[in-house]
Amino acid sequence: MLSIENLHVSVDDTEILRGVSLRINLGEVHAVMGRNGSGKSTLANVIMGHPAYEITSGDIKFKGTPLKEMEVFERARAGMFLSFQYPSSIPGVQVGTFLRKSVSAVRGDEAPTAREFRKELKSHMDALEMDKSFLARYVNDGFSGGEKKRLEILQMLLLNPTLALLDETDSGLDIDALRVVAEGINSITPRAGCLLITHYQRLLDHVKPDYVHVMIDGKIVKTGGADLAVKLEAQGYDWIEA
Amino acid sequence: MMQYPQISIPPRSQHLWRYTPWKRIHPTNVTEMPASDPIKFSSGQDSKMDDSDEIARSFIHSISKSCKKIILKDETLELDLRCSGHICSGELNIESSGKSTLIIRLSGDAGWTGLRIHGAVEGQLSVATINDLSKDGHFLRCEDWDVGRDSELEFATLSAGGFLNKSDIRVDLTNKGAQIRAGIASNGYASRHDDHHIEIRHSIGHTDSSLVMHASCGDSSHSVGTGLLTICEGADGSDAGQVFRNLLLSEKSRAEAIPELEVLADDVKAAHGAASAPIDADQIHYLSSRGLSPDESSALIVEGFLMDAFRDIKSEEVVSVMRTRLLVHLECLMNG
Repeated sequence: MLSIENLHVSVDDTEILRGVSLRINLGEVHAVMGRNGSGKSTLANVIMGHPAYEITSGDIKFKGTPLKEMEVFERARAGMFLSFQYPSSIPGVQVGTFLRKSVSAVRGDEAPTAREFRKELKSHMDALEMDKSFLARYVNDGFSGGEKKRLEILQMLLLNPTLALLDETDSGLDIDALRVVAEGINSITPRAGCLLITHYQRLLDHVKPDYVHVMIDGKIVKTGGADLAVKLEAQGYDWIEA
Repeated sequence: MMQYPQISIPPRSQHLWRYTPWKRIHPTNVTEMPASDPIKFSSGQDSKMDDSDEIARSFIHSISKSCKKIILKDETLELDLRCSGHICSGELNIESSGKSTLIIRLSGDAGWTGLRIHGAVEGQLSVATINDLSKDGHFLRCEDWDVGRDSELEFATLSAGGFLNKSDIRVDLTNKGAQIRAGIASNGYASRHDDHHIEIRHSIGHTDSSLVMHASCGDSSHSVGTGLLTICEGADGSDAGQVFRNLLLSEKSRAEAIPELEVLADDVKAAHGAASAPIDADQIHYLSSRGLSPDESSALIVEGFLMDAFRDIKSEEVVSVMRTRLLVHLECLMNG
């Protein structure tokens, strides 16, 4: 579904990704771990098409289509979703209005009716233990870290992507919130591929990865199963570089 | 005797007249007193208002054949003001007590409209003013408000109509515990010129005020927001703030945001700020990543930016009216 071949990416003439290759199939959960500044978030952002990043060589294809031919909104409509590490706030735009517009844009002809949407929304909000007063608030405006992450997961559930990119979705979450968010992620993975960027094993206690990749200095240097994350938690990254 | 002809033309060096001088907003030649059709008020009793020594107020008073009085007591009133003819004007006297809401909607195709309002508030009054005038018209608006002891006035303005607009709004807080919260949203498009001048005077201590003005500036529009916040000597315990923000949507648009602060008391909280910027690229990216095209993303950000001018307005009714009218206005603009 997603194939990345020898990807090189720069920002302001500084090379961040130095030859990343990765394949994600439907139903697979890939965790990417690595130190701060190793290029993890860059990978997620460049897949979603952030304009600050320049692909200098290599290729990314989603369902066979080169991503360089697709605008950001077209990627979203094609089934890609990025849960941002630092989601933007949109003052004055109510969460409810935003979600409705977003669902209509992404799901197009298959978008639910207003009544169906309300039902679907309520069901997901209940699952994420979110109060309905959330809907009248402005998007991410004055939200705590945990509230922002819950809203990201709520969007993911409503948009029902085939590829979910989750950039440090576990940061800022307390233990209970982490469990709730992880349940949200698990509910989509049977029908979607998932790229999970994280620093900690604790999220992977709830969301079992099929593959764990270690990124160092803009490259994936090691790939393993779920046990690799456990080893990284215990021993850090030095042993890989040694 | 009418005062208007005796009042000298204010110079442009005055803060109030810098960007929209009297000669520009006067409907004819400044020495003339043109005939005026009355604004048609949907309700109100016939009334009279005193003349003023301020030029714009005196002019509207001198040419107006219509003055209405609205008395509100624990109620909501929707007041339609129909403005038609070459030149149209009127005066409105508002007295409010208890907890009331007033929704004023100006519409019509008058070439020039002058509206003068005087309001006195006891209790809580929320006012929504919607300028839906024809996009070719000129509009002069003067308001003076007195807020009673422990009383609250909140007013929200959606300025969407008219080609050349000037508003001069003044609030005098002369009673302890008086509060004013103001939110102004101005949408600039085509060559629209929209000038808001707001003066809030804390004449006595333990009074609160907040003013937020948001102007989106598209095409070759020009937005002006000037504020004069005065905290008089001895008005200790006052809490005042004003913020002007402009969203620049095109290279040809212009925006002036000039908050002025005059603090003559010692123990007060006073803050002011102004900012002008284009749409944040990160906001566009965020909304695009949720499937909205760049145009849809921009439109939603502008809508939110304008609605955010009303974030301090507590009346859900007023905020809801503003949201509805704003959406209608933006949709009409989008559909030409």
